[in-house]
This record gives sequence, C-alpha cells and structure tokens, in this order.
Amino acid sequence: MPPIIRMENLTKKFGNFIAVDHLNLEVEEGEILGLLGPNGAGKTTTILMIATVIRPTEGTAYVGGYDVRKNPDKVRELLGVAFQEPKMLWVSTPWDIVNWHAKVCGLPTEERKRRVKEIMEALDMWNFRHRSVHALSGGMRKRVEIAKVLIQRPKIAIVDEPTSQIDIVGKHKIWRMLRELCNQGTTIILATNELYEADVLSDRVAIMHRGKLLVCDTPKKLKDSIVGGDVVEIQFETDPSPKMVEALNQFKEVVKIMKTKSSTLRLYLNKVEEIVPKIMGMLMKEGASVSSIHMSEPSLDDVFAHYTGLTLEEAQKEGG
Amino acid sequence: MRKVFLVVERDVRLFFQYKAMVIMRAIWFVSQIAFFGLIASRMVVIADYFRYYVGGLATMTLYSAAVFIGFDIYEEAEHGVFEYLLSLPVTRRELVLGRSIGGGLRAFIYVGALICISLYVIGVANPLNFILALFSLFLFAFGVSGMSITLAVAIKSSDRFDILMGVLDALMVRLSTAMYPLNIVKEANPFYGWIANFNPLTYASDLFRWGAGVEAVLTFENPLLPLLGIVLFFAFFTFVGIVLYDKRIEGGGWQ
Ligand SMILES: Nc1ncnc2c1ncn2[C@@H]1O[C@H](COP(=O)(O)OP(=O)(O)O)[C@@H](O)[C@H]1O
Ligand SMILES: [Mg+2]
Repeated sequence: MPPIIRMENLTKKFGNFIAVDHLNLEVEEGEILGLLGPNGAGKTTTILMIATVIRPTEGTAYVGGYDVRKNPDKVRELLGVAFQEPKMLWVSTPWDIVNWHAKVCGLPTEERKRRVKEIMEALDMWNFRHRSVHALSGGMRKRVEIAKVLIQRPKIAIVDEPTSQIDIVGKHKIWRMLRELCNQGTTIILATNELYEADVLSDRVAIMHRGKLLVCDTPKKLKDSIVGGDVVEIQFETDPSPKMVEALNQFKEVVKIMKTKSSTLRLYLNKVEEIVPKIMGMLMKEGASVSSIHMSEPSLDDVFAHYTGLTLEEAQKEGG
Repeated sequence: MRKVFLVVERDVRLFFQYKAMVIMRAIWFVSQIAFFGLIASRMVVIADYFRYYVGGLATMTLYSAAVFIGFDIYEEAEHGVFEYLLSLPVTRRELVLGRSIGGGLRAFIYVGALICISLYVIGVANPLNFILALFSLFLFAFGVSGMSITLAVAIKSSDRFDILMGVLDALMVRLSTAMYPLNIVKEANPFYGWIANFNPLTYASDLFRWGAGVEAVLTFENPLLPLLGIVLFFAFFTFVGIVLYDKRIEGGGWQ
C-alpha cells in the first residue's frame, strides 16, 4: 500500500530561520506515527503545512495522493486537527464548538448527536458543555480541542501534544481513545515532546531536532539500534569466577561487562528480553548462585541522546 | 453551499454571544431616536426631518453592526481560531463568502428589530417597495461586512484597524445622506456632495426611505441606481475579500 502521507523535502523558513528543514518522511495508512522532539523542533510547523494552514517554502507533502500545494481543498477533506494551543473564542461554549465542528465535517445529524454526547461524556466534559470557554481550565480547553477530532473520526487525525496540561488519569483515557480511533481505521500523527507518550502510543516514532528528521522507526527498533543500550545488573551470592565472566562475554549481544561491586556484574547489551533467559540458563548450568537481577531498557531519550548528544530535557531548554 | 451556510450560522451565533454589546447598541439606537432625533428635528427646517433622520439612523446602525465582523477577525487571530478555520474541510471561497454573509446577516437580524421600531415611527406606505428596500439593505450589510473583513486582513493590526474604522465610520456617515439630504451636503461643499454621491451608505439610506415612503427629500429619482450601487459594492468587497483573505491570512504578523 502506498503511504497515506509523503513529505518530500518539506521545508518552512520564517525569514532566515529554517523551522523545518527538508523533511522526507512517510506515514503509512492505519498507523500512529509519533513526531517526537523538544520544543522548537519544528513539529507544529510540519503539521500546519500538512494541514494546509501554512504553505511550505520549499518541497511539498502528498496527503492521500493530493499535493498540499496544488489541491489543498482535497487534502483538508481527509484531515482532522487537534491543535497544540486550543483554538477557540472565549465566548463560545464547548458544546457549540464541538457540535459545529461535527456539522462542518459532515457528520449526519443522528450520528453527530450521539457521538458528541458519547465523547464529551467519556472526556468528563458533558457537565461543563454550556459553560463559556473563558471559565474552563487549560486542561479542559485541551479536552475540547481533542474531542473535536475524536468526534469527527477523520481519515487522518493530527494531534499536537494532545495530553499536555492534562492530568495522568486523563492522559491514559485519551491515549486509549486515540488507540481506539486508530483501530477503527484512522491514521494518526501524534506530535509530542513526552517520551512516554511517544513510546506507548506510536507504531513508529520520527525523531526531530532543529527542523531535521533524525531517524524514524518502531520504538523497539530504535531502542535496539543503540549498541549496548540495555543494562543488566546481576548480583551473585559470591564473587563470580573469571570463567563465568568469560562465559558471559561469549554472548554476542553483550557489549561490555563491568564489575561494579565485589559480587555484582553490570552487563551492557542489546535485546535484553531475549538474552536474559539465555544468560539465566547458562548461569544455572554453571551452578552460579544469583541473589538478584535488575534490568533496564534504553528509553527513547537514550535514542535521542545517541543522535544529538543531548537529552530531550537539555534540548527542551535550548529550544525554549 | 451547505458549508457556506454553516459558516454563516457560526458568525450569527457568535455575535449574539456578545450580549453586553448587543444591549448597549440597542439602547444607543433608541436614545438617538427618542432624544437626538426628536430634539434636533425641531431646529431643522427640512420637511419631515424626524422621519428622515430615523430612516438614516437604521442604515447607520446596520453599518456599524456589520463592521463588527472585522473585530471578530482580530479576536480570532489572537486566539488562533484562524488556523482552526483554515484547517477545516471548507474552501477559502466558502469561508469568506460565508463570513461576509454571516457578518451581514447577523447585523441585519439584529438591526431588524430596530428597523421595526423605526417603521413604527415612520410608518410604511408601500409594502412592495419596502421589501425591495429591505433586500437592498441586506446586500448592503453583506458588502459592509465584506469590506470590514477585507480591511481587517489587509491591515493585520487591531490598533490601526480600530482607528481606521473609527475614522471610516465618521467619514462614511458624515459624507452620506444618512443624516442630511444631498442638496444640503452639496451646498456646503460640492466635493462633499460628490463623495456622498458614491457612498454606499447614501444608497442604503435612500433606498430605505424610498421603501418606507419617506419621499419628501429623495436623492435619486430612480431607485434602481442606488440598488445597482449596492450590488457593485457587495460584489467588489466579496471578491476582493476572498482574494485577500487567502493571500494575507497565512503566516501570522497579527498585532
Ligand atoms: N510564525 C512563526 N514565525 C516565526 N518563527 C516561527 C513561527 N512559527 C514557529 N516559529 C519557530 O519555528 C521553530 C519551530 O517551531 P514549532 O514548529 O512550533 O516547534 P515545535 O512544535 O516542535 O515545538 C521555533 O523556533 C519557533 O520559534
Ligand atoms: Mg509544537
């Protein structure tokens, strides 16, 4: 199947500043593509170009086969966008906003009424539906924003930091709803600067920094691609023999072994979940007595650091 | 067309959410009739000036209500609602057309109530004429709202827009036949008269008076002339509005 979105050297300059720099990226139909990067990476600008809200300076993107430059009207028929900053006038009410949105997106009356109620209830907004936006908290406004897309169920949903300002219970709820939306056939682009969000929700993650795409793959492959990114700490009852250390070194996934305390080894390796059972088998066979094992996988932060030399947090500060 | 209608609906609903503004203007309108109109007409020698003034007042109020959409645009720019509107499955043409119609229609609905008050004061002679007059006021309101949108997106600075609209309001109203007949404007200064001749507010005021039967002092013999003027006014700003809206709206720079 051809990709549902294809960006070709997609570029946006604001004056001399290059916000998005020759982006080449494809989004497969039916996937959730995470766009992960620190503030200022160019995620929102990329999204706005795909949504035909702003024009690319150079390059273009094809959405459902339509060029955003030549057929913006066709492109918008396929899209639903939940913006980073809730876009609403303060005199409006949540119900007005989502109901009108559903009408403009062409939902039939019965379905519209049902879905508006269903989604607003699911997002705990139903009781606030007739308050003016002015009186709502930032988190509530954000929910109104995301509700529009959940009600619309577009072919392609673009959600820009969908759970920022939302409490942890709300975050999990929204993640579950986005996953459901995807299961029902919507392709989702998720822009985020939260590692965990990108990790749990995305089928593939595209990491951006300073307008450029660094890498794009499944979260698992990205993490596996960092050589020696996994860490396993094995604590023995007694000091492990040199023969044992040598035997551990024989595993090709093991990159480095360090003795941290007298009876503890720290192994830097890849594919921790596959290799640990093998190591355990070997240790049992050799009759070693192990008192504890501690494992940690690399995070997407390690992946980001691998490519930029900065943690995401450091890059956030830099981006402002 | 359904989408144009939805854009219209949105703008109409928005307007009436500004309740304080809606009420204040109604109070202003009524006091203009009850105080200024009644009192000032005693000093004026023109026949039937009170009814003349009330007719003009209706179009003046329609004008200032229709202009309001431009201020909405700044409000929307400030809250990023623009970007939202631009991301919807609506063409730019539908969007601008819907907005100039919406901006005009809501002014019309609102002023409609006030027009009823004026009609009670003036009385209607010929219902058929009046319907034609209403129709032209309709187009006039769309044109004004299109003009306001055009200027708002062309200027992109709410301060400057605010000042410009204040000045424009003063000039449009003063250099029209909203408050005084054309021959008096001409007598004061032929150049003023020349401008008033091409002022859509003149056309609207005259058509309204013609429709309501306030015929003591009409500017144009043939009502088709001002009607044509209004149609041109409407068509021009809707067209220019569409072109400008599409070109200027992107890329921020709103102040
Ligand atoms: N309208 C604009 N004018 C000038 N600079 C902009 C504009 N929009 C975004 N930028 C700049 O482009 C860069 C990328 O911004 P953005 O796409 O919002 O990043 P992200 O969404 O990843 O945080 C930032 O440095 C930002 O300041
Ligand atoms: Mg952003």
